[in-house]
Amino acid sequence: MSDNGHVTLTIDGKEATVPAGINVIEAAKQVGIEVPHYCYHPRLSVVGNCRVCLCEIEGVGQLQIGCNTLVRDGMVVNTTNERVSRMREGVMEFLLINHPLDCTICDQAGECKLQDYAVDHGSGITRFEFDKGKKPKNISWGDRVVFDAERCILCTRCVRFLDEIAGTDEISIDHRGEKSQLVVRGDGKLTSPYQMNIIDLCPVGALTSRDFRFKSRVWFMKFTPTIDTSDARGCNVVAGTRDNRMLRMVPRYNPNVNDYWMSDHGRLHYAFVNDEDRIVMPTAGGKPAPYPVALSRAQAVLEGARDEGILCVASSYMTNEELFALKGVCDALGVEDRYFLLPMGEGDDLLIHPEKAPNARGCRLAGFRDAPDDWSSQEFGALLYVKPRELIELPAEVIERCKKKVVFSLTKHASDVNIPLTTWVEKDGTMVSAGDRVQCVRQGMVYEPTLLTERVVLDRLHTLLDPAFKGASTAVLAFQRMADEHPALDGLTWLSVGLLGAKLNKAEALA
Amino acid sequence: MIQETRAMLEFADDPKQIELATYRKNGGYDAFEKALKEMSPDDVTQEVLKSGLRGRGGAGFPTGRKWQFVPKGNDKPKYIAVNADESEPGTCKDRVIMEQDPHQMLEGTLLAAYAVGATTAYIYIRGEFQKSIRIVEDAIDEARAANLIGKNILGTDFSCDIWVHPGAGAYICGEETALLTSLEGNRGYPRIKPPFPAVEGLWRCPTVVNNVETMACVTQILRRGGDWFAGLGCEGSTGTRLFCLSGHLKRPGVYELECSTDFTLRDVIEQIGGGTLSGAPIQGVMPGGSSFPVLRADELDCGFDIESVAKAGSSLGSGAIMVFDDTVNVRDVVLNISEFYSHESCGQCTPCREGSDWVRRMLKKFQTDGPDEGDIATLMDVTDKMDGTTICALAVAIVWPVQSFLKKYPEAFAEKVTA
Amino acid sequence: MSGNESKFSSELVAKVNELWKRYPHKKAALIPAMHLIQAERDGWFSDETVADTAALFGLPDMHVRGVVGFYDMFHSEPVGRHVVRLCKTLSCKLRGADGLIQHVNERYGVKNGETTQDGCFTFKHFECLGHCANAPMMLVDDEKHLDLTADKLDSVLGGLS
Ligand SMILES: Cc1cc2nc3c(=O)[nH]c(=O)nc-3n(C[C@H](O)[C@H](O)[C@H](O)COP(=O)(O)O)c2cc1C
Ligand code: SF4
Ligand code: FES
Repeated sequence: MSDNGHVTLTIDGKEATVPAGINVIEAAKQVGIEVPHYCYHPRLSVVGNCRVCLCEIEGVGQLQIGCNTLVRDGMVVNTTNERVSRMREGVMEFLLINHPLDCTICDQAGECKLQDYAVDHGSGITRFEFDKGKKPKNISWGDRVVFDAERCILCTRCVRFLDEIAGTDEISIDHRGEKSQLVVRGDGKLTSPYQMNIIDLCPVGALTSRDFRFKSRVWFMKFTPTIDTSDARGCNVVAGTRDNRMLRMVPRYNPNVNDYWMSDHGRLHYAFVNDEDRIVMPTAGGKPAPYPVALSRAQAVLEGARDEGILCVASSYMTNEELFALKGVCDALGVEDRYFLLPMGEGDDLLIHPEKAPNARGCRLAGFRDAPDDWSSQEFGALLYVKPRELIELPAEVIERCKKKVVFSLTKHASDVNIPLTTWVEKDGTMVSAGDRVQCVRQGMVYEPTLLTERVVLDRLHTLLDPAFKGASTAVLAFQRMADEHPALDGLTWLSVGLLGAKLNKAEALA
Repeated sequence: MIQETRAMLEFADDPKQIELATYRKNGGYDAFEKALKEMSPDDVTQEVLKSGLRGRGGAGFPTGRKWQFVPKGNDKPKYIAVNADESEPGTCKDRVIMEQDPHQMLEGTLLAAYAVGATTAYIYIRGEFQKSIRIVEDAIDEARAANLIGKNILGTDFSCDIWVHPGAGAYICGEETALLTSLEGNRGYPRIKPPFPAVEGLWRCPTVVNNVETMACVTQILRRGGDWFAGLGCEGSTGTRLFCLSGHLKRPGVYELECSTDFTLRDVIEQIGGGTLSGAPIQGVMPGGSSFPVLRADELDCGFDIESVAKAGSSLGSGAIMVFDDTVNVRDVVLNISEFYSHESCGQCTPCREGSDWVRRMLKKFQTDGPDEGDIATLMDVTDKMDGTTICALAVAIVWPVQSFLKKYPEAFAEKVTA
Repeated sequence: MSGNESKFSSELVAKVNELWKRYPHKKAALIPAMHLIQAERDGWFSDETVADTAALFGLPDMHVRGVVGFYDMFHSEPVGRHVVRLCKTLSCKLRGADGLIQHVNERYGVKNGETTQDGCFTFKHFECLGHCANAPMMLVDDEKHLDLTADKLDSVLGGLS
């Protein structure tokens, strides 16, 4: 007998000691055994309808479903013996008899549990000689989700997600038995701001993303674990890229931040990454200039403005490493007016955060102040401005009151020196999300090989201003340097922040 | 000659029996009154245990034992749900009780409520039974007016309300967990077990689900004694039971009979049912509704009790004995059965939703074209894979009859030999 | 909910109020109430009726729509003035239900699920209606007609208006 809330059982001959109260699927996972499942999802109610997780429990006559069988001490489970395999093969065959088998044109191909399990658990032959049931295909459930009734296996994960997690209760099953079919409320369009999660939840290709449709076979893509930067929640995501363009984002499990979900807004917040109008080379005086030329021009502009004062405005989309690099430049120039811009919007109780940028906390950590609602009419010799994404901008009159301008931006911006920005999928770095959580972003692509990240550019500028300064060679080292210096980050390492993030070690008032 | 033993149906032919006054005059509610005033709830359960009563809904589970599963000293409310969904093909007996002696069911329901401490009971009557619904509702109103239902019944501190709840046309709602889901106002999906209804039923509170006839038996047991009931019928099949004889019989009808090992299923078909109407030989019998294996004409000489019929390879199920003679093609019969179940599958479970329709389509092909080589083995294998792999027993209710027809009438399902 | 807010007759709303008292949760009264609602709304659930029902119960439309789709007695399409349900399950089949179905097809020109041209009745094949010892049988609205023959059937259907 095991103690303190644990039980010991045997799964396929392996002994497993697991927390009491979990089901056989989760217990098996803990010892590296995958029990196939479609309808079961750890955050949704258990309905036990797909029947593919059948297991044999010693001493119990009928096969039991792993999703609804809680572990017991001394339980002996068999997930693969001949009896289980035969019945599971049966379930797979039933699932496929009315399935269109149109994998060649299906976006889910490569990530389809029906494909996976059919290979692992199916018999490979079909004995079904009748016409497959005809059901509607390619139904638009609004502008984000596309539904194919023929591929649907009625696991009801989508129904339960909208009901139990998103709370909008928009999908139901019409008819019954073999005629059962999903229907969407009212005009047939989904309204939930979280609706695209059902695309990830769908274990087959019945729900696909209009945004991602037919863009790429997944096996040609590169996947990078990073975070959603559309708001301060910092939902953990996997960014999918191909040929140095961003194709999609899907949520990545993080129980402390976003669980398995993300908002649609965050998921679709990446069009600017692929924007054809992005600038890929700095300009000085309106003319293309290689980085060294542009930077020495910036140095001249800024040093020349020292007496009249410099206004520095950071962006809450920057990483901590970039913000600290910018701080270094400001220190070298003796800049006093250091602000950052933060777009605000609506929030909700689930994941959507009212701060529509990922790193206001990092800005504060690096000593930047929230931009005032009413800017004073002070004039400055120069503006050093990192322009945020489209949601917010420095008011034109503030810009006009600065005689010279050094501007970092994604697209062309009138200035004395204009330096291209990179987006968060193009670099490594950290941000401080809501709840004072330090999280990593990681490089998944480069937009243009010639682009330098802001951290590198700012460090080089810093060296021009102060030849004694030597920047860190990588973002990881930059983080380490920052962590050594800043008490709020003391003790954190790039590895300890890792894939799931870490709390700031002191309660800093950054919100 | 086999005779009817009329206990539940003793007064059923009196049209006034549906009225409270007549029911009381004939001894109605005396047992309930006595139980309330002289017996503890546990005494009532003990009497039912002693009687050997097994549920009349089809599964034959011992009723007293089911009541004992209800947790004691649990502060959640407890409920009774009377299963009056009567939809198993061939079954038409609960309706007879409801239309001709509704108080008998209500009295049994009150006794069950008293035994398990339930304070509300719902009678889930299939929506098509409008006449039953009206009669039972009137009976409830009369009983409530007489303080037999409601608060502080007959001056005691026992309170129990009873309401009729109409269904809306779905066989699956007779399955006890689907009945509960439906009663709560949903699509009638069976629930995964555990938890069982006695522990977590209606609104996650302990709920006893019993068939209408089971409740009528409870009334008889408390009226005449558990020993009396146990002395009728035979071991394992005590008391009297309502049997529904239908199909190609001379005298179809609902009869109250004792089970016995002294006479056979064939005797009942011949003596009670009068043999076939046309005089043509019997071809087969479904002895307990269409959910169980068919018996061929040469398999009818088993005893007439639960155990003997089980030994013969089928079940007395819900007491629906359907007889067909040799003028009908068994391919039509089994197709008709599969059409029923595939229409009634709720559609949750993969094997039942997909399998039931596949089976139906194969049987349709057999009916029109006959099976091709290998088809029978495929159908046997497909049905094997529906057996024991689903949430509720509807799937096996397809498997058992279909497999039995294929095995027992091989000549009707001879495969076309391909040259 | 009070009568004036609801789109249903005040009698119906009063009855539903009574139904609600029977259950610890209002939702449980949905199916009983839907029988009353269907009767008040010409025998079927249009999208509007579904929405009104959902509003009355404070439930999502989708829930009500799902319930309509699940149960054979609720209709999601218009029906005739009467609904004729003829049992086609085994006991009735053995006693001639197939012949009666054919008779109805030919004589009244309606197949399963269809409504006669004059809108008099909708014809439905139904699974076992629980009167197997009096087969074949049919329900015309709430009234049952047992031990049917083609003649008996004609006299019942002929008398419908
Ligand atoms: C598919 C299916 C349909 C059923 N239909 C009915 C029914 O119509 N009436 C009934 O009393 N029991 C029916 N049952 C049995 C019930 O699940 C349950 O066993 C019964 O109501 C318990 O009551 P009892 O113990 O008094 O028999 C059905 C079971 C299954 C699996
Ligand atoms: S076995 Fe069939 S009827 Fe029963 S729950 Fe599963 S799908 Fe529904
Ligand atoms: S995962 Fe267990 S039945 Fe679907």
